[in-house]
Amino acid sequence: MKASLKWLKEFVDFSLTPKEIADTLTMAGLEVEGMEEFEDDTILEINVTPNRADCLSIKGVAREISAILGLPLKEPSIPVFEKEREHLTVEIKEPQLCRRYAGRIIRDVKIAPPPQWLSRHLELHGIRSLNNIVDITNYVLLEMGQPLHAFDMDKLRGSHIVIKKAHPVNKFLTLDNEERILSKDMLLIWDRDVPIAIAGVMGGLNTEVTSSTVNILLESAYFHPISIRRTSRALNLSTESSYRFERGTDIEGIMLALNRATQMILEIAGGDVTATADNYLEPFEPLPISIKFKKINDILGIDIEPSLIEELLRRLGFEVRREGEGIVVIPPSFRQDIQRDIDVIEEIGRLYGYDKIPPTLPAVRIQPHTEDTKRNLIKTIRNSMRSAGYSEVINYSFLNPSVLDKLRLSPDDPRRNVVKIRNPLKKEEDALRTTLIPAILDNVVLNIRRGERSVRLFELSRVFLPSAQGLPKEPLQMAAVYLKEREPSLWHSRHEGFYDLKGTLENIFLELRIKDYSFLATELQEPYLHPGKSCAIKINNQIVGSLGTLHPAVMEALDIKGDISLFGLDIDRLFLNIPSGLTYTPLPKHPYVERDISIIVSQDTPAGDVRATILSIDSQMIESVNLFDVYTGAPIPEGKKSLAFSIRYRAGDRTLTNFEVNAMHSRIIKALEDSLKAELRT
Amino acid sequence: MIEDILSIKDLAGEEIKKANDLKTIQSLRIKYSGKKGILTTKIKSLALLPKKSRPQYGRILNEVKNYIETLLTEQERFFRNSELSDLLKTERIDVTLPGNFIPYGHQHPLNMVLDKIIDVFLSLGFRIEEGPEVELDYYNFEALNIPRDHPARDMQDTFYITDDIVLRTHTSPVQVRVMEKQRPPMRVIVPGKVYRCDADVSHTPMFHQIEGFMVDRHISMGDLKGVLEVFAHAIFGAETVVRFRPSFFPFTEPSAEVDIACLICRGRGCKICKNSGWVEILGAGMINPRVFEVVGYDPDLYTGFAFGMGIERITMLKYGIDDIRVFFESDRRFLEQF
Repeated sequence: MKASLKWLKEFVDFSLTPKEIADTLTMAGLEVEGMEEFEDDTILEINVTPNRADCLSIKGVAREISAILGLPLKEPSIPVFEKEREHLTVEIKEPQLCRRYAGRIIRDVKIAPPPQWLSRHLELHGIRSLNNIVDITNYVLLEMGQPLHAFDMDKLRGSHIVIKKAHPVNKFLTLDNEERILSKDMLLIWDRDVPIAIAGVMGGLNTEVTSSTVNILLESAYFHPISIRRTSRALNLSTESSYRFERGTDIEGIMLALNRATQMILEIAGGDVTATADNYLEPFEPLPISIKFKKINDILGIDIEPSLIEELLRRLGFEVRREGEGIVVIPPSFRQDIQRDIDVIEEIGRLYGYDKIPPTLPAVRIQPHTEDTKRNLIKTIRNSMRSAGYSEVINYSFLNPSVLDKLRLSPDDPRRNVVKIRNPLKKEEDALRTTLIPAILDNVVLNIRRGERSVRLFELSRVFLPSAQGLPKEPLQMAAVYLKEREPSLWHSRHEGFYDLKGTLENIFLELRIKDYSFLATELQEPYLHPGKSCAIKINNQIVGSLGTLHPAVMEALDIKGDISLFGLDIDRLFLNIPSGLTYTPLPKHPYVERDISIIVSQDTPAGDVRATILSIDSQMIESVNLFDVYTGAPIPEGKKSLAFSIRYRAGDRTLTNFEVNAMHSRIIKALEDSLKAELRT
Repeated sequence: MIEDILSIKDLAGEEIKKANDLKTIQSLRIKYSGKKGILTTKIKSLALLPKKSRPQYGRILNEVKNYIETLLTEQERFFRNSELSDLLKTERIDVTLPGNFIPYGHQHPLNMVLDKIIDVFLSLGFRIEEGPEVELDYYNFEALNIPRDHPARDMQDTFYITDDIVLRTHTSPVQVRVMEKQRPPMRVIVPGKVYRCDADVSHTPMFHQIEGFMVDRHISMGDLKGVLEVFAHAIFGAETVVRFRPSFFPFTEPSAEVDIACLICRGRGCKICKNSGWVEILGAGMINPRVFEVVGYDPDLYTGFAFGMGIERITMLKYGIDDIRVFFESDRRFLEQF
């Protein structure tokens, strides 16, 4: 809310500079977010928090200044008008929604352009000037925080005002010439049975004050905040009035505002008060709150004199009475936010000054920490990925479901079952992601577009899977992508990026001490991966993710090229498969014997099968089997490849003899010949 | 016989001294002390001598043998050394070629700052809890004293899934979830993603927060100030000036916003701090007794504080980043600066 310094000074005499007063207000909870200098005035832009409806006016801000600085508040003298020459009645049919409604008829006013000082006041505070009457109502709204409305009395059929809900009317033309669709619970102001205003939000065009208006009906009322807020939201119409009503206005200030406006109208536009009605159904009941001094000091962490507490509260307009080791306070009617002792304590702390509260460190009872294993797991993975050259990215959780088509997901793929956002920021991105893959591929696309030739990225984030009841599931997943440069640089290896990425994964498993993992080409075919260059990642016979080279069709859809490999991993599932303990194995006492074996097999025989066959001969004696060469080309026949393994034999209880090793080696060769049709390469 | 031996010695000494490469030395070693070498043959022939004169000849032969072998070894060492130094003169690698390594990947700046903040609070005995990002309206608002139709809801633009389910607008719902399940004392931090329907240079629809709260008997606003000063000094430097000013959050009372003296202009006033000299870093306050009542704690017995901050904002301030959107663009050139 905007507040002119000059105007504030009409209410409180302070001599602080604009900067000083801004700081003072800010440090008391009315944050001054900006200042605008004019030749003869400064406008403060104050961020009034939703609890401080009482500060949505010049008088309210002035009241704060007077309380903070301990200066008196100057109230302008406002006369009371009591002439009753005609009849005006107000009938409130919804006492819950409207606790007080006052009306006043002023006859023979002269509608004219407002005096220059008035229009300038409004403009400085962001309100458009219209004519003297409307401007006066807005002036009082700014000054006192009480919204007022003026009707053209001659456009009413009588002088009986009714406050009731909209039903059965469902359309209404407001002042701004917009037809508003009403719902039946909205509160309206009626001229007997014709609606003339949407209560607290905006008046009707049918009773607008225009240049030809002569007689007016002035309204000053209290509407229930929730009702006004609902109406304003439903109509998508927020006005200076509704903004204040929905935050709570001062029910006791209604007549004062009405008199203030009357005073100004008679002065500026002339006229004569002929009737006043004030229907006040349920008079304001002040709410006494008692608080002990000890509690005030305990909560704020200070030691403040009772007399100072009392003074601070009195400055804020509270009635204060000492009672034993504490006080009983009665907050003023304009402070509807003060309902409990804690609210009062906040007021004391605020005015005393947060800066005077000494910082302390709490005395605590020691609580044992349990190891956060999941967090440690994530840390380990992050570090492994970084040491393998991968940088972490964070992508939005939003998903445009149509990108799943680009990934070639089938119509019944479970990842197409998404959580939908009702009010997305971008219309297309109306879902929460079920997979991290599209976003990380987008990251690659962006980097390629910006000239990068090699990129390693990973992301660890939750995805969102709808569940039959309750909140969606939010499993933690991981995705990594490697765009390998096509023209190798100095040390660059020439194999496909797939193997680099696979190595990174294996290293993570090593770090996590996961031994029972495998990469299986035959299981789980991800539609976005190259069918011949992809596999499922399995741990303890459970699929935890997939690894592969990006499908050429996906590359085409994304308009990118290159050696792009990626994996997706379900971290929650991985977490469940991490071995818990670690047991020491004594070092072997006897030497190993190493033999190499070189065989020729069909091109499509996986090396993994050969290795498994070798191991199956004697898992006790065969300590390790390492592939050290893969070769195709002359003199190896077409359709065949040569694989060379180095096999280490060792026995736990003795040094193996040549005779034993030779026997085992022959069995291996025999097994490879029998089950894989391998030939020994000589 | 003796002359014979001594002449061998002289001849060998001369030959060894004359030799000018390792190969000659090696052939001389064979010539004199090899299996069929001159000295070896002589030693073998000792057996043919009368017993009496054997020791005398034996001693002399041995001396000569030692002499020759020492000479050979010395020369051999000399030639080996010079051969190595010749080799070392020619063997060369280009040490200026780049090393063969995969450059370390980079931490995301948000996680970097988040980790630092987490470490500060872990050191103060806080522990980490998490909660769902898709959250019930109840936890996100109602239980935090933000009823439906309350203007405080305007403080946050909410993404709705259904009438009762939202994308959490802050990490504060986890306060309620944790307090519902556990009894005080507690010191908890909650890092996580949050969502608000807003996008410009300083707002993204998804961002990160870290929430912290502590509940026990006798926790005061002074304790809140103390803990947050420790935090601000750890993250922004020990000289950082911190200020607390009153504010409003429905779930804390008294509420505060915390500013630090602008890091760019050191409080003199600049564009970043809008000439105020201060930049806001977080919101905090004493937990509202209404929240305690929701979770069944006795507000007369327990007090507590809570605070929440935006990681993006802290990171932007710390590193002078002026556009929040770069965090989520994943441009390699951005990521590799951290």
